Amino acid sequence: MAAEPLLELKNVSAYYGPIRALNRVNMVLYPGEMVCLLGGNASGKSTTLKTILGLVQMGEGEIYFRGERIDRKLTAYRIARGIAVVPENRRVFPRMTVRENLEMGAYLRSDPEGIREDMEYVFSLFPRLEERLSQPAGTLSGGEQQMLAMGRALMSRPRLILMDEPSMGLAPKLVETIFKIIKSVNERGITVFVVEQNANIALSIADRGYVLQTGEVVLQGPAQELLHNEAMRRAYLGEV
Amino acid sequence: MRVPITTRGTLFVVLAVFFLLVGWRIQALPDYTLARVVQDFLNALTLGSLYALIALGYTMVYGIIRLINFAHGEIFMLGAYFAFFAMVLTPLPLALALLTTLLLGGTALLVTRSLFNLESPKKTAGLAFPLLVGIFVLLGFRQLGWIEALFLSMIATAVSGVLLELVAYRPLRGAPRESMLITAIAASFFLQNMGQLVFGPYVKGFNPETVLNRPLSFRIGPEEVYFTGVLLVVPLITGLLLLLLNFFVTRTRLGKAMRATAQDAEVAQMMGVNVHQVIALTFFIGSTLAAAAGVMYAIRFGQIHPLMGLLPGIKAFAAAVIGGIGSLPGAVLGGLLLGFIEIYVVSLFPTLSAYKDVFAFVLLILILLFRPSGLIGEDLTEKV
Repeated sequence: MAAEPLLELKNVSAYYGPIRALNRVNMVLYPGEMVCLLGGNASGKSTTLKTILGLVQMGEGEIYFRGERIDRKLTAYRIARGIAVVPENRRVFPRMTVRENLEMGAYLRSDPEGIREDMEYVFSLFPRLEERLSQPAGTLSGGEQQMLAMGRALMSRPRLILMDEPSMGLAPKLVETIFKIIKSVNERGITVFVVEQNANIALSIADRGYVLQTGEVVLQGPAQELLHNEAMRRAYLGEV
Repeated sequence: MRVPITTRGTLFVVLAVFFLLVGWRIQALPDYTLARVVQDFLNALTLGSLYALIALGYTMVYGIIRLINFAHGEIFMLGAYFAFFAMVLTPLPLALALLTTLLLGGTALLVTRSLFNLESPKKTAGLAFPLLVGIFVLLGFRQLGWIEALFLSMIATAVSGVLLELVAYRPLRGAPRESMLITAIAASFFLQNMGQLVFGPYVKGFNPETVLNRPLSFRIGPEEVYFTGVLLVVPLITGLLLLLLNFFVTRTRLGKAMRATAQDAEVAQMMGVNVHQVIALTFFIGSTLAAAAGVMYAIRFGQIHPLMGLLPGIKAFAAAVIGGIGSLPGAVLGGLLLGFIEIYVVSLFPTLSAYKDVFAFVLLILILLFRPSGLIGEDLTEKV
């Protein structure tokens, strides 16, 4: 692609105290793409997302978003610039209502009209949320919480959504629905960067993929290529 | 199987047990007249309100950063002293009033500006002008009444609370919880000793001529009920502050950010919440409530002392744990409960009155043994 990258990680390393969790990672996301990030346990997938958000201590490297260097900026600034996140395990605010959770997604915005529009859009994607608007989020089912977490991320009207394992703990049928919705969100022009254990489903709808192993990018390429890559199939797609 | 415990259900059981015990005991006391019923109730409600106000500060801070702020009792003490000096020293000479105004108003302004997101110069100016002029007029021209003193003290104490957070706790963000706990104890000792050094280590009388300690009375049947205004005013002001607090946490953007941070600080950050700001805000609000409690406590008991925060502080901490630490309604319930127990033990079992302070801690131990998450606290298993 010739377009300007939306997000670019250049030689990024990240640390938990003395432990290096990411080692000189390079990644590029172009506007409108859907990219998945694969890898086993503790390979640094979630750390990558947290580094993009500024939630872990970053060592060397640079991160650019919309052409601007953001790796020394506050988390709130990065979010205001258009990054939203659907965290691992959903992590909705359990004792706040569905409506309040969605409002928290729009925390940095101050355009009531636009916020109302976006809430309507979220309801059109997830009609269940509208039915449960004044219910505490902790009382929702796992699938509904996943929908709420996605709706909450959309409420900031982001350019880029980071998703951490949206399929975790959900029934296969629900996983399919969730990924269909992710695809439809992506088709609206929102760039999606999704971390997944479920490599099959992620690669089947993504444009490209990166594979991490102990904090290093070991494989990358178009999703179709990765799906048919020998090493990839052996390691992550459950084939011997 | 564990029976789910609802807030309303718990409240009902607690009230039922309490009234059964009190009722049973009153029957056995022939001289327990209607007048004493009213007096005891007002005394208990007042003391309980004060404990509840202090307990809220503990529970809010704990909810946000999982810290028992042991210096909270000293914040309460500062609140009382600020009001005392505001009433005794005013009217200040104009130059001194101006200096104090600039000092207090300036810091208050800086603090509120950053806490409440008043970035625009217009909003800041809109706050600065009335605040500075208001403080100056209050300090410079006449002796303050208790309401003005209460108001000034709430501002000054809130600033102190935020400074405490800034100096003592913020540098430890991310440090193990034990470090913060030890720091909190150190801060408490520091403020106690600083208080003795600066304010003098003796008891000062605090008996302003106000409606608060005017003796009032009314008749019930053949009897006369005697009490002072403070017994009506304290529950009233407490109720008002609770309504304001409730409005803040459920209706305002920052209040919601505060609840979100308490429930999941990392995700709140992912929504763009500035966690440092929310923590400082929590200290700000907790300290205003403690200041209100401190001033009213001082007027209620007629004296202040640099160590006066110790016992009410520990009891309010017990109240917060009994109600369920982290829960706002829990803190109010726990505070009221301890207030009622203390007053009714003394009134109904005069032989036990020397042990009145023990009951709070007995109840605390029972709660920790049988229901460690508190009467209406969040279920601990919920946080995984």
